[in-house]
Amino acid sequence: MFRPTLNEVVSGMQRTIMEALLPELTSPYAQGQAMSAILILAHAAATLESAPAYDAAEIKDLRATFAALKRLGDKHVSKKSGLRGALAGAIRASAKNPPDRRAMEAAMAAFTTAVALGDADQGIARHVRGYIRRNLERSRNLLGNSLPPA
Amino acid sequence: MDQNRLTEYLKQRMPHAREHRVVGLKRLSGGSSRETYAFDLEWNEGGETRTRPMIGRRDPTGGLLKTEREREFKVIAAMHRAGLKVPEPLFLELDAGVMDRPFFIMDRAQGRTGMGAFPAAEPESTRAKVADDFLSELARLQSLDYRECGLEILGPPKNLEEPARVQSAHWSEVYERDRMGEHYPILSAAFAWLKANPVVSDRVVIVHGDYRSGNYLYDDSGIIAMLDWELAHLGDPMEDLGWASMKFWGREELAGGLMEREAFYRMYEQKTGHRVDRTRLFFYQVLGNAKMAVICLSGIRAFIEGQTSDSVMPFLELLLPQLFEDLANQLRLV
Repeated sequence: MFRPTLNEVVSGMQRTIMEALLPELTSPYAQGQAMSAILILAHAAATLESAPAYDAAEIKDLRATFAALKRLGDKHVSKKSGLRGALAGAIRASAKNPPDRRAMEAAMAAFTTAVALGDADQGIARHVRGYIRRNLERSRNLLGNSLPPA
Repeated sequence: MDQNRLTEYLKQRMPHAREHRVVGLKRLSGGSSRETYAFDLEWNEGGETRTRPMIGRRDPTGGLLKTEREREFKVIAAMHRAGLKVPEPLFLELDAGVMDRPFFIMDRAQGRTGMGAFPAAEPESTRAKVADDFLSELARLQSLDYRECGLEILGPPKNLEEPARVQSAHWSEVYERDRMGEHYPILSAAFAWLKANPVVSDRVVIVHGDYRSGNYLYDDSGIIAMLDWELAHLGDPMEDLGWASMKFWGREELAGGLMEREAFYRMYEQKTGHRVDRTRLFFYQVLGNAKMAVICLSGIRAFIEGQTSDSVMPFLELLLPQLFEDLANQLRLV
């Protein structure tokens, strides 16, 4: 393995800003910017390892959700709603190597919209809500639940 | 901002005075849609030395929002004339040659501020006074006639259906522009829901556009000045109320960290004499969460594309999970 690793580079840059740059800065604005840079590097270091796992879990979940929606059959995914085309596109996107995540998320946006507007039946809504719940949980685990500081 | 150029500029704008001196010029953090500078101006007038604390707001090279400084300056001036608690606007300079980019200068009000919810550590008496002032100022703002204030420049809506439609369409367009090819299913669903469920206002008022805790200066006697008028427009009174009472700015039961949410609405009704329309309020709270998420995406895009080097911008990503969760709950997506 080549050294330094990305994680070690990020940690080293934090130290450079903290120990070499910050003491030389006199402007409060520049000091604030340096502190923000240190914090965002800390966040980057913390998520470097978990981000690929997040991406993999997201793709796996999207693929599984679309497969489940397809199993529901044409009775649920009506032509009229436009969801049939979205589903076909999502299945194609998930079969690609690597999977086309953006296309899968575009299809999920169409399904989520249908649920929000009450245009999807209960079978579809159950799968979409399940995905949204898991997606939110994964996002919270990756990024936290931050609010503007008081 | 350059100290010498600023001094020269102020000499020209204040020809009756002599010996102008800009003291303690420093850039402040925050105010991400404008560069904000604090300084004191000292000058001699009639043999007397005078000092005034000032703020300079200059257009950024890039940032969260693209807004028009002339409009912001005129709104603050109108609010000041109407007696609202705002800093006194002093000079507007649209010639980019003077200080690289357009800017304006206003009085620097003194006081404390935060970025989000009203700080829980403040004494209860201060919180109560700020909460009362917060709604009193909103009531006064919503009682103003935009025509009498000379604010037709804000573009009066043609009818009472237009405010909801225009605002949701505007933020939807910004979303399409700044999502950088990504798809955010909850956000896409939110804009579709807003389009499908428009509300009709009962009147047209001046909307601050970012009326919330974190956008005022206060001390123990209450609010000193409402800040950040760059998103002001004409629209539905429920828009500012919905934005101010979003869970995002306060969490749980306290609107803006100021007051229990239902009591907040009751006090609004007492101060304005208008009832809170829950359907419209809900619409504008959904719009508020979607708008805030889009503002975050705009800042992230500006950072990625090098339009701003503000190191706060990447942090905006951390706000998205909470906004998406609030939207998912509002739209019954979970």
